[in-house]
Amino acid sequence: MVEPIDILEQARRDVGLSIGDLWFRYFSLGGMSTALDVEAFLFGALLASDRDRDLLSVALNECFAERGDDHPLPYSQDRDER
Amino acid sequence: MSSAEVGAFGVEIGIDSGGPVVEVRGEVDLATAPMLGALLDVLVDHAETHVVLDLAELTFMDASGLQVIADVSGRLAPSRRVLVVQSASPIVRQLLAITGVDDLVLVATAEPARQELAPEQEEPTRSQPDEATSAATDVVVDLIERSALPATRDTVDAALKLVVSLAAVSVGGADGVSVSLERDGAMRTVASSDHTVLEMDHDQYETGEGPCLSAAADGRWFHVQALAEETRWPQFAPRALERGINSILSSPLMANERSIGALNIYSRSEHAFCVDEQELAELFATHASGILADAGVGRSTGPPNERLQRALESREVIAQAQGILMERSGISVDEASTQLHRAARASEITVGDHAARIVTSARRGPRPSE
Repeated sequence: MVEPIDILEQARRDVGLSIGDLWFRYFSLGGMSTALDVEAFLFGALLASDRDRDLLSVALNECFAERGDDHPLPYSQDRDER
Repeated sequence: MSSAEVGAFGVEIGIDSGGPVVEVRGEVDLATAPMLGALLDVLVDHAETHVVLDLAELTFMDASGLQVIADVSGRLAPSRRVLVVQSASPIVRQLLAITGVDDLVLVATAEPARQELAPEQEEPTRSQPDEATSAATDVVVDLIERSALPATRDTVDAALKLVVSLAAVSVGGADGVSVSLERDGAMRTVASSDHTVLEMDHDQYETGEGPCLSAAADGRWFHVQALAEETRWPQFAPRALERGINSILSSPLMANERSIGALNIYSRSEHAFCVDEQELAELFATHASGILADAGVGRSTGPPNERLQRALESREVIAQAQGILMERSGISVDEASTQLHRAARASEITVGDHAARIVTSARRGPRPSE
């Protein structure tokens, strides 16, 4: 059986960003976790806080936007409003 | 003695009979801790003694500095060595105690550390790092390695100077050691143990020949056992002889599969370097190469520190914008962060650009309508 992949990890693969580069974008946005932590978030080994998930989503969304795509990843507040 | 400075941060490395003493000045934070870590790594790998960290001139240290200390003590542990922290201020000692880092190191107060390092005293004063600490230090190493925190030229030079100092004291028969690097299109000596060595490197640059240049150009070893019998470099050899040098061992420095310089060891005696010395020289050359490769020297992409600079500026602007939003609306940092992300998305600009707009408008004075 194949484990479901976290949408952040799926997005990272879709956009073709290395974990190191994703971490750098996340860090640029104010993220405080290490690259190893980020990797653990993506693979479900660690539970990311809403703030960390949002920062990773923003980092990936900006990457999508640079390619002319939409912002596909939701932020924590979007989910709360539903 | 070698030194490196970046802003308020600085390191002096003294090597006395008791082993290396690293005197840290100024601030150890996220930007400077990797530099301290890199310097200490060299000592861990090459000194066979305890390592002393003198914090008398330290003005600030954050978690990244503590992590470096914990990491270094963890790396010394397998060889039954300790990291001695001396002359730490009461605040720093408290910081070490609160975080448990003081269990990993030997905290010395005023007296020179050697007196406290009698063999029978080593074990009881030191506890083994537990698994949690090891895991934490792994994260730190990972952060430094993978976060692309760049080594600045100063960091690289300081680390290379340290390699040179250590090579000078540990390679038998060595009267001088230097590192030459190709920089800005020319060969330059970036670290040397004394003036004679520096002059001799310059002789090679001037004559355009010599073992150092050959090693750097060809990416292989050049060993001059007796300079008086040397025929390969007719212009350089007499100059070196005049300076009293009689044997030379030059090892190439490789980074990213390119030869970019050489580690040069000189001796006043002929046939100074036997198998043991050659092996040691290779070890130091390998380490210097590692420092250069880690620093991205020889890599074709742009300078990595610009990237870090941009990242730090971006963080700063975003933090300022969050502060402004918090102040204006009386919201928490998380709420400010979310507001920033959503507003940027709605305006179809990046969070960094949106944050910059907020900061700029705040600087202009009265709040614009949003």
